[in-house]
Amino acid sequence: MAPVGPRSGDAIFSSIDRVNAELFTLTYGAIVRQLLTDLEDVDEVNKQLDQMGYNIGIRLIDEFLAKSGVSRCVDFKETAEMIAKVGFKMFLGVTASVSSWDADGTCCSIILEDNPLVDFVELPDTCQGLYYCNVLSGVIRGALEMVSMKTEVTWTRDALRGDDAYELQVKLLKQVAEEYPYKDDE
Amino acid sequence: MAAIYSLYIINKSGGLIFYKDCGTKGRMDTNDSLRVASLWHSMHAISQQLSPVNGCSGIELLQADTFDLHCFQSLPGTKFFVVCEPGTPHMESLLRYVYELYTDYVLKNPFYEIEMPIRCELFDINLTQAVQSDRVALLGR
Amino acid sequence: MIGVGKMKQYSNVLDKPLSKGKQEVSLSAFAFLFSELVQYNQTQVDNIAELERRLEDAGYAVGSRVLELLCNREKGNRRETRLLGILSFVHSTVWKVLFGKVADSLEKGTEHEDEYMISEKELLVNRFISIPKDMGTFNCGAFVAGIVKGVLDNAGFPAVVTAHFVPIEGQQRPRTTILIKFADEVSISTSLYMIYLYLEKLNLSPGLPTSIHAAQVLKREARLSQ
Repeated sequence: MAPVGPRSGDAIFSSIDRVNAELFTLTYGAIVRQLLTDLEDVDEVNKQLDQMGYNIGIRLIDEFLAKSGVSRCVDFKETAEMIAKVGFKMFLGVTASVSSWDADGTCCSIILEDNPLVDFVELPDTCQGLYYCNVLSGVIRGALEMVSMKTEVTWTRDALRGDDAYELQVKLLKQVAEEYPYKDDE
Repeated sequence: MAAIYSLYIINKSGGLIFYKDCGTKGRMDTNDSLRVASLWHSMHAISQQLSPVNGCSGIELLQADTFDLHCFQSLPGTKFFVVCEPGTPHMESLLRYVYELYTDYVLKNPFYEIEMPIRCELFDINLTQAVQSDRVALLGR
Repeated sequence: MIGVGKMKQYSNVLDKPLSKGKQEVSLSAFAFLFSELVQYNQTQVDNIAELERRLEDAGYAVGSRVLELLCNREKGNRRETRLLGILSFVHSTVWKVLFGKVADSLEKGTEHEDEYMISEKELLVNRFISIPKDMGTFNCGAFVAGIVKGVLDNAGFPAVVTAHFVPIEGQQRPRTTILIKFADEVSISTSLYMIYLYLEKLNLSPGLPTSIHAAQVLKREARLSQ
């Protein structure tokens, strides 16, 4: 079978079912609010948002692969570009860019040019430690883990906390080689 | 048109999480389908070892005198395979389509626990439609 | 890369111009998020009734904000004061904005005076969801019921709103009906308003006093009959 070549994020986004971003934004807001009420602690909320993102990521990766036609990436650099150019576009309708690579190509920044999660949002004084968009870092971590990449994803800039952009640092910790799993003594 | 016998989905660790008989011929009981799934999981893994070069992702098509077996493995490791009469066309496209149905009606269902057996009514309904021979022919466009 | 990461900054969210609501995200992104909302809430409850209530709460938060937003954007800050007006606002405007289409139908309940039903053959939030057999009649539409309640409550029409599966003949899948039961005070004032309209239409009432009188009579009747 001829491989289905990767499609551009724009092409995918325009061909799939879409919803008004406000439904998404407000629903996310409702989730954050529930967590703040349930957990009463900003750090716990950050953790839970990251966990929820992870849960989404491990499922969403299959949709990404099924609908984008992307197959295995040659290296982490290509992976990061795919997330930024295809992933963010096809799910959130926004573009992101990759920058700040380290020397060995295992750590980079993904910068969001637009962020639909934060419309209507302003952090109240009581929530200053909140990483409102922490779900996104979890999604990336979860999705990459499913394709054998252990990563650490952290916010380096957050416009809700006064920075001039939304920037995630994605660091590749370990690439689990895919091989016959029961090689030796199993 | 040649017939599809059955469709299987096995999870990353080789457990059968979905099985469907598609016609009147070649039906299997639960034990047999579990046996086929575990056999295929092992064969698929072993086949990767046959490759003289690195990066082999395993058997995609197995042809025998009484059946064809087409297999699609997603990057995260879930295997979808269909067993059909020899020469049944459009099976790669069918598996791709089943993969999409899986991402929609299984993975987006909050009551589905990942890696566990699939019991999702909407997945069944859509899959039953997809394997009807006239629908499969459309996949060949 | 040049020009990357420049985002227009507003010191206060209120200074930011209200979006036109034309931005979109993929249905999948919403579906995954909604699925996670349901999964999280499942870990917080002991039974299905509680799960329904929590989804309704989450929806309520969305509904009250949607009302704010739409009153600002679509109605020039004018608020709906009539019951039928607010119902049609929910069925058409709210639905269109949130779910991309007007709801399939808005009907008055046949059994009770103060009940209305908004029905949808395939509720957006249920698009990919199959309810396990052991969850009985549970419907994730509880979230949408919450949205409706949030809109109605904040517009001054308190109501009990619930989501139900209703089988359709000849269809494999049931539709979802959002049942709206208005609090008594609302139904009385609606009845009053209907009478007022009726009188006005018949031209029996040149001014307000007659209808107010009629209304008072009706109100007394309503109290007596309870």
